[in-house]
Amino acid sequence: MNALPAPTKRHWVRHETLLLLMLFAETTYFFYFARNFGTADNISNIVRHSAEMGLLALAMMPVILTGGIDLSVGSLMGLCAVIFGVLTHDWHWTTLQAVAATLLAGLFAGGFNAALIAFLRLPPLIVTLGTFSLYRGLAEATTQGTKIYRSFDPDFLNLGDQHFFALPIQAWIFALGALFFWVLVHRTTLGRSFRAIGFSPEGTLYAGIPVERRTAMPYVLAGLTAAIAALLFTARLHQARADAGTGYELAAITAVVLGGTSIFGGIGSVHGTLFGIAAIAVLNNGIARVPGVLKAGVGGELASMLTGALLLIALAAPILTRFITRGRATQT
Amino acid sequence: MKRYSRELTVAIALSALLVWLAIFAPHFFQPQPLLARLTAQVPVLVLTIGMSVVIISRQIDISVGSQFGVCAVVAGLTSAAGAPLSLALIAATLTGTAMGALNGFLVAWLGLPSIVVSLATMVTWAEVLRLFQQGRFINLPAGVQWFGFSQFVGQASLLFFALGLLGAMAYFLKNRTGGRHFYAVGSDSEAARLAGINPKGVTMLSFVLMGTLTGLAAFCNMVQSPQVDPKCGVGLEMKAIAAAVVGGIAVTGGRGGLWGAFFGLLLLATINPALTYMHIDAYWEKAIQGLVILLAVIADGLRTKRSAA
Amino acid sequence: MISAPLLRLTKITKSFGAVRALKGVSFELNSGEVHALLGENGAGKSTLIKVITGAHKPDGGTLEIAGSQVSDLTPTRARELGIACIYQQPALFAELSVAENIGLRLECGATFGCVNWKKLHANALRLLKQIGAEIDPEALVRSLSMPQQQLVEIACALGSGAKTVIMDEPTASLTRTEQELLFGVVHTLKASGAGIVYISHRLEEIFALADRVTVLRDGESISTQAVRDPEGVVLISETELISLMVGRPVSALYPPKAKVTGEPVLELCAVGCKESGVEEVSLTVHAGEVLGLAGLVGAGRTELARIIFGITPADSGTMALNGAQVRVLSPRHAVELGIGYVPEDRRRHGLIMQMPIDQNMTMAVHPKIFPNSLLNFRAETAIGVHFIEKLGIKASGPAALGGSLSGGNQQKVSLARWLATQPSLLILDEPTQGVDVGAKSEIHRLIRELANEGMGVLLISSDLPEVLGLSDRIAVMRGGRLVDTLDSTQATATSVMAAALRSA
Repeated sequence: MNALPAPTKRHWVRHETLLLLMLFAETTYFFYFARNFGTADNISNIVRHSAEMGLLALAMMPVILTGGIDLSVGSLMGLCAVIFGVLTHDWHWTTLQAVAATLLAGLFAGGFNAALIAFLRLPPLIVTLGTFSLYRGLAEATTQGTKIYRSFDPDFLNLGDQHFFALPIQAWIFALGALFFWVLVHRTTLGRSFRAIGFSPEGTLYAGIPVERRTAMPYVLAGLTAAIAALLFTARLHQARADAGTGYELAAITAVVLGGTSIFGGIGSVHGTLFGIAAIAVLNNGIARVPGVLKAGVGGELASMLTGALLLIALAAPILTRFITRGRATQT
Repeated sequence: MKRYSRELTVAIALSALLVWLAIFAPHFFQPQPLLARLTAQVPVLVLTIGMSVVIISRQIDISVGSQFGVCAVVAGLTSAAGAPLSLALIAATLTGTAMGALNGFLVAWLGLPSIVVSLATMVTWAEVLRLFQQGRFINLPAGVQWFGFSQFVGQASLLFFALGLLGAMAYFLKNRTGGRHFYAVGSDSEAARLAGINPKGVTMLSFVLMGTLTGLAAFCNMVQSPQVDPKCGVGLEMKAIAAAVVGGIAVTGGRGGLWGAFFGLLLLATINPALTYMHIDAYWEKAIQGLVILLAVIADGLRTKRSAA
Repeated sequence: MISAPLLRLTKITKSFGAVRALKGVSFELNSGEVHALLGENGAGKSTLIKVITGAHKPDGGTLEIAGSQVSDLTPTRARELGIACIYQQPALFAELSVAENIGLRLECGATFGCVNWKKLHANALRLLKQIGAEIDPEALVRSLSMPQQQLVEIACALGSGAKTVIMDEPTASLTRTEQELLFGVVHTLKASGAGIVYISHRLEEIFALADRVTVLRDGESISTQAVRDPEGVVLISETELISLMVGRPVSALYPPKAKVTGEPVLELCAVGCKESGVEEVSLTVHAGEVLGLAGLVGAGRTELARIIFGITPADSGTMALNGAQVRVLSPRHAVELGIGYVPEDRRRHGLIMQMPIDQNMTMAVHPKIFPNSLLNFRAETAIGVHFIEKLGIKASGPAALGGSLSGGNQQKVSLARWLATQPSLLILDEPTQGVDVGAKSEIHRLIRELANEGMGVLLISSDLPEVLGLSDRIAVMRGGRLVDTLDSTQATATSVMAAALRSA
């Protein structure tokens, strides 16, 4: 009855190949039909605008791999941005101190999620739904909902504007993040245990792996990553504001699931997530440049809508194919 | 009475808050603003009823905010086109029911986790709406606000309707076998199957009901103002979930009741005005809402752990 | 009696994959009769019950209910035909009240879809009173103790008006007074003309209650006989029943026993854990020795293993490993101390079915073979290949998924995981359950080899010949306590079984 067909390695490789093909088709389409899509300027634009969401998606991947979810990362971005603003403007800390403190705050907030989920064993969904509200609320309360911190150290703003070896600095940071998470998930024993926990937390415990500590780790990392994303966001917009990262958690989860990571845990890859991020980033940028859409000015809406629909299709596709193949198997 | 200790705790917290307000901020109880405040909560209450049923069945639906917006715009456009109010009501509830059925189908029949399904439909509907409406408000004809009656009559009838619905649904959940099946499936869907209940059907029904109630809630929202704001649903799912969780409906399914959720909603709805009277910024509302959810879930977690030991 | 029996099973067979659980069982239940079903763990009792309740479809044989043959029985259909079953593990709704559970189960207390709480409570109260249980119908099932939940199950069975009631070790978790209540229910049911299939390991209960007894062994019905004649004279003795149950010759094919044993590896002194119901267990496992741990299901053997392995840490007593006092607080800690545990439930605990077998094998040795936490796939594959060869695992390669292997090969992978840690103490929990004959003897040979290499082995097994054939000493548990330790040269199947069964 409950003997699900064991997902084979080939299964998710196929998913990623499919995604890559889709990404290729999408890019080709935009290349020919979207205005100024293929220019160097625009490509660096895509990277600059999607680095924050991309980083969050990379951090979300191990969380989902353990069978959990973190809805609070977008809100935490807002909180971290505000903390940075307060420290640099109201408390007159140096930029370096403020950056360090912001990163620490992200770690701490992630640790709070982790403590409730891994050690008190509360459901991740409702815990992070609570902190989703709490972190954004703290940010809004600090800024009275309206205050926006402007004018930062120009060296800090370089993070958002400057290029380094022909690529925007965000591209390098994102690449570093991607490398870190790829190595973590695919090349370390930690990543191996995230996967094992996603398949079977009990079975992992019986193998002598400290399940609680391992479950906690992805949430802590997600907190840290949200802080980094908040700093990039601030540097890019030259503003620290409470609504930073609104809705980013959805985009991040979409990228991860689109990238072939199973929402039930255990299955998935970081390179798949990278393709997922790319597919969403390209869609967001390209669709706004298709002449008809450009004229109507509805690029953002159309892109997000398609993302939502894509997520549903990505979710339902493996199950529907299983239904179909099983139906065939029973017939023969 | 031990069984209702959780509901009792919330009711006591609410009473304490009300007593505090009565002593230090008696303005709070001036009839006109109080009535307005209560009426403003009617759509949230209707949503909370649906959300409670969904959570009791061990599911969740975070797309109701977006659904609410879609239904509101559908109802608004119907009214703006000159159709009678009843038609607007039917249009809104049908739209909601259809969207709920989609969620239900994906969760019950395809076995997808409700959190991700509703996340996806949440984004999709919100963007469909944005694309279609471009943030434009819909101006409603004169006869729509307060059903064309005086404000007081309109408010009173909405309140009566909402309380009636709450009573009826509470009775249904508590006293009809159909209602008990939500609890059975949420408590243990395998045991429910062995007892001859169809868990898929029950799960489906919970989402459909949620959708229908969302349409109804959107209608209740529309008749309170002269225009429809297409963003009126943003964040409502959080309020409904928070009310249910604070009111003792366990996210692990099968536990809690509508009256608890009702008290939870009143408690959360009173916090904001109470903050104002305490001279604390209203901007703290979201943070406090989050904190209250966390406290409720921690309390539930500890309770379950203790009773399991 | 001329009327047809309530239940007649003829030559029922049932296989799960390669394992033949039932090899032709015949069984009959008359109205007004208590028919006991007796057999070792794994003799096929549970499978037989599941066939009767429609949960399993038999592969062969016929099933007659009240004289008419039934071919496709489902749980719902069985219920309609008046078959009720009280399982060992109550299947109740934890979040709902007692009255509601009874109501949902019996589909009563509702008129036109409207729950009549008064009637529901009255009905629950009546049933609970009838069995003499003092349980508040309004209490949530979650708040009830295990025996209380069992009583609710019994009330459900009574209320269902079933003609055939199956009781699967109903007294396993009951206290003395609750047992009396249960016996009362059995008599009531019997007097009303119902038939009862009564399964219990407590022989005294069988003598007190049963009219007839059927002994199952290795999936076959060995014998059916009357417990007493019409005058009430007992016709069969306890020893006869035990010898019927265990009547298998101990295979001569077991590897030779240890010649010398070394220093103590594990010493338990009055170890207990409230949570898992283990009390004051003292035992010693020496290096090079296989200590068999016998007992019935629920005697606390697995629970003891879980204490030693740190899953449910001990809260009383002391434990020493290789002569040093230790307190094992987590499985991680246990692994560091050199304890290995091959758990009973392979699917849930022993392996991660969706992961390749080499990854399963290295799970417990991550810190050892992957210093700096970096995976080394070459080393991992090498370990996989090594154990596949050493243990003769039949798999397409080290990358084969755990779930794609047969039971015996899965067990070997689970074993390999712990061999990789080179433990000083290895706990094996039912290592040959659901394993085919060939793999079984290989595993036996392997266990002895490990002991000969100096490992201390604690072998938990319900397979008596296996315990007798493989162990150097045999400890017997019953009711969470260690009741006897026998030397394997003196132990016989009968003496071990008698120690495991002897009524408290």
